[in-house]
Amino acid sequence: MSQSSAIPKKGDHVQEHFVNSNQQFEAAKLGMWIFLVTEILFFGGLFVAYIVYRSWYPELYILASDHLDVWLGAINTTVLIGSSLTVALAIRCAQTNYTRGIIINLCVTIALACVFMVIKYFEYSEKFELGILPGAHYTYEGIAHEKANIFYSIYYMMTGLHGVHVIVGIGLMVWLVIRANKGHFSSEYYTPVEITGLYWHLVDIIWIFLFPLFYLID
Amino acid sequence: MSGHHISSVKFLWGIALSLVVLTVVTVLAAWMHFPEPWNVVVKLAIATVKAFIVASFFMNLWWDSKFNVLLLAISIVFFFIMVGITLLDTLYRTDPIPLF
Repeated sequence: MSQSSAIPKKGDHVQEHFVNSNQQFEAAKLGMWIFLVTEILFFGGLFVAYIVYRSWYPELYILASDHLDVWLGAINTTVLIGSSLTVALAIRCAQTNYTRGIIINLCVTIALACVFMVIKYFEYSEKFELGILPGAHYTYEGIAHEKANIFYSIYYMMTGLHGVHVIVGIGLMVWLVIRANKGHFSSEYYTPVEITGLYWHLVDIIWIFLFPLFYLID
Repeated sequence: MSGHHISSVKFLWGIALSLVVLTVVTVLAAWMHFPEPWNVVVKLAIATVKAFIVASFFMNLWWDSKFNVLLLAISIVFFFIMVGITLLDTLYRTDPIPLF
C-alpha cells in the first residue's frame, strides 16, 4: 500500500502512454513551447524584413509612422495586457476548481480580443479610404517618400498576421468556454486552458514589440 | 510539480499593472524625442522588459522546467542569427537598393 500511494493515481483523462497526469501535462506544455518557437521564427522573418528596410530607409519610417495613431496603438496594447491578465486568472480558476470563474474570465478575454480587432478594423478602414494599401495598390500622396508603400506593406503584413493570430485565439477561447461549460476542466486536468494561455501570451508579446516599432517612431 | 505553480490574484493584477505602467512610460519616452539611436534603444529596452515579465510571470517560465526556458532562449538566438546574417548582406551591398 505504501508503494502505491507514492505513485499518483491515473485519472480518466490520462492517456495510456503516460505515467501520470503530471507527465502528460508537462509533455503537452513542452509540445506547445516547441510550437511557440516556430511562431517566434515565423514572425522573426517579418521582423528581419522590418529591420532591413529600416536600415535602408530610416527617414521613411519616421515619416510614415506619423500616420499611425499612437493613442489607438496604446489602447490596443492595454487591451491585450488586460486579456493576458484574464487568461492568467482563468488558469488560476481552473487550478482552484472554480469552473464559473474559468468561463467568466475567458468570456472577458474574448470580449477584449474583439475590442482589439474592432480598433484594428477602424485603423485599417481609415487607411484604406486614404488609399494607403499594401504594395502596388498604394495610392496615397500624403507621405513624401517614394517607398512609402514598402512601410505599409510591412505594417499590414505584420499587424495582419498578428490579427489572424488574435482571431485564431478567439476561436480557441470559444472552444474552451464550451468545454468548461461541460465541466471538462478541474485542478486535475486543465491542459487546454494552460496551453491556449501560453499561445495567447505569445500573441501579446508580439504586439508588445509591434507597438513601439510601428507607432512610436520619432 | 513544476508545471502547477498557482499565482495569487493580487500577484497577477500586479503584473498586469506593471505592464500598463511600462506602456505609459514607453509612450512618454516617445514624447521626450531622445536623439537617435537612443530613441529606438529605449523603446526596445522597455519592450524587452515587458516581454520578459509576460514570459516569466504570465507564461510561468519563472517556475517552469528549465528546458522550456532553453527552448525560448534558442528561438531568440536563432532569430538574432537570422538578423545578423541578413544584415551582413544588406548593409554592405555596393548597389544597395533593389527595385522593390
